[in-house]
Order: sequence, then structure tokens, then C-alpha cells
Amino acid sequence: MATLQLAAALPSLPSDWSAEKDFKAVSPLSPPTSRAIEPVGPHFLAHARRKRHKRTFSEDER
Amino acid sequence: MSDDTGSPPEPQSQESSRIAIGLAFGNSNSSIAYTSQTEGKAEVIANEEGDRQIPSILSYVAGEEFQGTQAKEQIARNPRNTIAFWRDFLGKGFGDVDPSNCHASAHPVEMDGGQGVGFEVQEHDVVEGEAEGKKSTLSVSEVTTRHLRRLAKSASDYLGKSVNAAVITVPYDFTDAQKAALTSAAQAAGIEVLQFIPEPVAALLGHDAKIQQAGEQTQPQHHDRTIIVADLGGTRSDVAVIASRGGMYTTLSTAHDYELGGATLDKVLVEHAAKAFVKQYGRAGADPRTNERSLAKLTIEAEAVRKALSLGASASFSVESLSDGIDFSLSVNRSRFELLANKTLMSFTRLIESAVQKADLDVLDIDTILLAGGASHTPKIAANLASRFPATTTIISPSTDPHALNPSELTARGAAIQASLIQGFEHQDIEDSTEAVVTVTPHLSQAIGLVTGKEGEESFALIVEPDTPVPVRRTAQITVPAGGDVLVRLAEGVHHISVSQAEKAATNGAGGKADDDDDSEDEDDEPEEVRSKVFKAGKVLAEAGLRGVKKGAKVEVQVSVAGDLGVTVVVREVGAGAQKGGVRGSVEGTGVAQNGSA
Ligand SMILES: Nc1ncnc2c1ncn2[C@@H]1O[C@H](COP(=O)(O)OP(=O)(O)OP(=O)(O)O)[C@@H](O)[C@H]1O
Ligand SMILES: [Mg+2]
Repeated sequence: MATLQLAAALPSLPSDWSAEKDFKAVSPLSPPTSRAIEPVGPHFLAHARRKRHKRTFSEDER
Repeated sequence: MSDDTGSPPEPQSQESSRIAIGLAFGNSNSSIAYTSQTEGKAEVIANEEGDRQIPSILSYVAGEEFQGTQAKEQIARNPRNTIAFWRDFLGKGFGDVDPSNCHASAHPVEMDGGQGVGFEVQEHDVVEGEAEGKKSTLSVSEVTTRHLRRLAKSASDYLGKSVNAAVITVPYDFTDAQKAALTSAAQAAGIEVLQFIPEPVAALLGHDAKIQQAGEQTQPQHHDRTIIVADLGGTRSDVAVIASRGGMYTTLSTAHDYELGGATLDKVLVEHAAKAFVKQYGRAGADPRTNERSLAKLTIEAEAVRKALSLGASASFSVESLSDGIDFSLSVNRSRFELLANKTLMSFTRLIESAVQKADLDVLDIDTILLAGGASHTPKIAANLASRFPATTTIISPSTDPHALNPSELTARGAAIQASLIQGFEHQDIEDSTEAVVTVTPHLSQAIGLVTGKEGEESFALIVEPDTPVPVRRTAQITVPAGGDVLVRLAEGVHHISVSQAEKAATNGAGGKADDDDDSEDEDDEPEEVRSKVFKAGKVLAEAGLRGVKKGAKVEVQVSVAGDLGVTVVVREVGAGAQKGGVRGSVEGTGVAQNGSA
């Protein structure tokens, strides 16, 4: 995927904000919906290959 | 950035003897297409007669079999020995088929005690000394085999090599029994079915592949869109709402109408012409609708006129010896046709809107409408959609987009592309990849993005669309003009439709240009509502602080969601040295198994 360019402004870091290694996990994602991907096209084939070999994106790139 | 997903997979084995085509087999027409593995370009193949839309019709005349356009010509001359509109009968019992499309050609008959459907035709010439030729009953499977064999031969002749495999497009609602019947009918014609794919999905694949080839260098490879694909055919129309995410397609809803298509529009013109004929000739000429042959002639001419009106402003409806030996001709202009057919034309819009509702979406969620199938050439169908959908919805059809591919060719093209992608795989591999364990995947129920703007006036900048399958990785950049320490707050986005009142509506301009007086019903003096889609930040997922950002620098945020819904975020300043490694952290998943479940 191409990199998205966001036209917005990031808020500045509040002076009292602190976190270990400057990262704070807040809450998990909402439960997903289970749906079927159409088994067509080059991108699906790559998905199928990752899934069947239990590989991640970065492993797949090697 | 390297290509996440696009590199073609290495075939597991060399099934090099396969020559695979894409095959669109409709009730009205069939099309064959080929994609060479070296060039990757889909090409729709013309048969010996030069047709790329080959009518799915077989006709038997004096012991000879005709197919396509030649067979279609026999509907008026030799209707009972001409077989048409049978695709949807495959794999069905006699009691389950709707024979009404076959009224003007061979009528379906019961076979195998009602288990199957066939056609009784005289396929052999009359033997000397016999008054009448012997009739044979051809099963729907046999008819399909004969038709496919001829299609494969046309493709083989064109390619100069023997075609022996195909990806075939079918409607979403084709049952397993229908697929099994089509598989064996194809096999009997020497064609191995590599895969069935839904017609709208094939159309989208055909369209996207073209876009990608056209803009390989300049345009981003692909982007996330929510698309309606409307396959508007001859006897039926099928619509799908598809989430296209990172080049993968997930169908969110489908809608079907088995009585809506080009043939429905033909009926409008038939009525119009018949009434004009009766009015003009009174008792001298009988109503051409009451005579089978006259009706067939009217129907054939109606289709030709309709096609002409897709391009021109007027067309001449003329039939030699229509009824009682009278030659008939009538001039029809496009706006007259559109007025007469208004109700039918609006049915296409309504069918498409119903698919949006079924997907639980709003018209504002739809980025693109791709019109496929022959009836999509009709300009008014696109124009009606343009006035129902917002200006942000791009409508791809011949009359709205000069770069649109021929809608009649889209499905065959998509099938050909898929055929070239998988023809090197072993059959078992293809089957394994289409199993639910591979295709059924958790999809994000909410968008993911950044909370931006000052406190109290926050807004939401989208990075990952809802309905995106996981795992997924997306990267976004955002400029920090003032530099300094910034807060990157990742959240889910909740989208809603905001409605405000305004004097003038912001509808899609293409719709209501010249024909404002046509839709007077819609025009009243109530203030127009302006509806827009906005995302609001919902649940916060994580926060990262990035310190010491240079003035005017860009901050890059990479969001990865794993199969277990764990989120990993990497935030860094673009161009900053490696010593300034940025911030990285994860939010644990909700523990969904890697394979999800249905
Ligand atoms: N240029 C055109 N303008 C208007 N209508 C057209 C044009 N070209 C083809 N059509 C119509 O498209 C219809 C055939 O569409 P298509 O070839 O997609 O059908 P199909 O998928 O085989 O049919 P079915 O819906 O019966 O399964 C016919 O009604 C035909 O008249
Ligand atoms: Mg069709």
C-alpha cells in the first residue's frame, strides 16, 4: 500500500504526559467481524500463502 | 516501500500443459478472454464471426448446428429448434426453473422424472422418405457442453493452441449443485474448471487490473475503496457491495433481480412500436404482438434500437414485413425511450440502493460504482445513479467515464486474469486456497486512525478503513509545521452521517444536466438536506509521545494489526537518523484465533 498523507495537525504532547518508552497501550480493538475474502487476484494469493504458511508480512517479504 | 502483497506466488508445480482462458457464460451472452502469463494483459477473443459477445444460443437447421449470432437469427425463423436462456437451468429440477425467458425459443421440457431440464429439438436433417425429422431431447448439461466446446474451439483457433482449462464466472447465488453440473458439462467439453468466481468480483478484478496497468508508475498501486459492482445483464441483474482493501475483495452484500435486464427494456420498446403500428394501420394490420414471429422480429429490432440509442440521440426502428406483409418503420429518440422506460430504468437504481441498505451502509460510504454487463451501456442508468449518489461517488460506465472498459467485457477479463494467476497450481492447491479456513478472516469492525487537532476540537484522521481484513499494515505521514513534542493518539473511528440544511443540494452534477424537467416529482421547495459522512474518534487504542520533532518535519505512523487483533504501532520522524529510532509499542489482541471462525 502506498503511504497515506494526512492533512491534519498532531496535538502537542501535554507537559504532564509520560509513559514508559513513551508508549501507552490504552485499550484493545473492538471485536472483529468474521467475513470471507473473495479468493481472487494476486493480493488474495499472497494472503492465502501467508495464512497457509503462518507467515507475517515481514517474513513474507524476505 | 516494497510490495506487501502483490508479488505473484511461485506455482507449487508446473502444470505446464494447461492452456486456461477466462469464460463468462451468461444466459444471454458468453465471452472468452485470455491473459498471457508473460504480458499479464487480458484480451477478449472474437470468434470466427468477429463477435466478442457471443449469444449463448444454439440452433439446429437442416442437421447443422449454429451458435451465437447466427443462432440468434433463427429465433424468428426457427424458434422451436433454437435453444436460448438456459444457463440458470443447470443443476436444477424442472419444477425449480422459470421458463418465461424461453417463450420465444425452444421450450424447456422435463427430464429424468423432473430431476432435470432439457430441450426437444430436431437436430438432424429429415431422413428421406420421412415426413418429419426425428426429435431428440438434449439435456441442459448437453447443451452447455456443446456451447462450451464451441467457445473453447474459438479460443483455441485464435490462440493457436488447444484450450483445456478455464476460470468460469457464475452468479453469487449459483448453488453447489449448479456448479457441479457446470463442472461436469465443461469437463465433457474438454475444459477443466480451475475455479468459479462471482461475476461482479470478476468484473472488479478486470477493471482493477486495467487501472493498475495503465498507471503502474504514476498512481499509487491501489487504495482502499468501497465499491458497488452492478452486473446488469440481459435477463437478470446482480449487484454486490464490495470492500476493496489492499487489493483484496470482501463482499459485504448482494442483491439480485431475476426479471430485470436489457430484455425488460426491450419489452418497453416492443410495446411502443406495436402500439404505433396498430395506430398507423388500424384494421389493415393485426397487432404484431399476437403473432409469434412478428413479436420475435419486434424484439430483435427493439434490442438493436436500444443499443443504437446508447450512443446516438435517435434511431430508426424498422422491420420488414412485420405483420400482414406490412413493412414498418418508426423513429425513436433517446429521451422518448428514457421516458417510456422510466419505471424500468429506476428499478436498476432501486436494486443498487437495496444492496447498499443490505450492507448496512449509506450512499455516502460508496466511493465507486462500477457498471458491468451489457445493459450498463444505457446512459440513463448511469445518469439516474449520479443523481441518487453523492458527488463523491465515481460512476464508471461508458457514458460517465471515457476510460471505462467495455462493461460487456469486464467479467471475462477478470476471469482471464484469475486463470493466468492460478493455471500453474495443482488442482488441490487451488481448492485448498478457496476453503473457508483461508478465506474467512476477521475484519475490523471499526476504522483505525489518529485523533488530531487541539483539545476540545478533535477530529479523526483515517488510516485503516473499517471492514479491512487482518492481518493488515498501513502507513501514514503527517506534517508537524511547528515541530516539538507531539502526541500520537491512535483510536478507533466511529462514522456517522451528519445532516445539515442548505438552499442548494450538492448532488452529483453528471446526473441532472439536460433533463431537469424529467424528474419534476423530485423537485419541491423544501430546503435541501446536505448529508456528509464524518468520522469521530471513538475508543482510544494507544498513545505515543514523539519528542523533538524538527520544524516542518513529517511524522510517520505505521499501524499493523495482526491476525489475533494485536496492534503494533511504530512512530518516527521521517528522515531522522537511526539513532532517533522513534517510538514503538503494541496493544494486545483480543485473543481471536489466527484462523477466525465463521
Ligand atoms: N450498447 C448497448 N446498449 C444497451 N444495451 C446493450 C448494449 N450492448 C448490450 N446490451 C444489452 O445487454 C444485455 C446483455 O448483457 P450481458 O451480455 O451482460 O448478458 P448476460 O450476462 O449474458 O445475461 P443474463 O443477464 O441474461 O444472464 C442485452 O439485453 C443487450 O441488449
Ligand atoms: Mg451476466
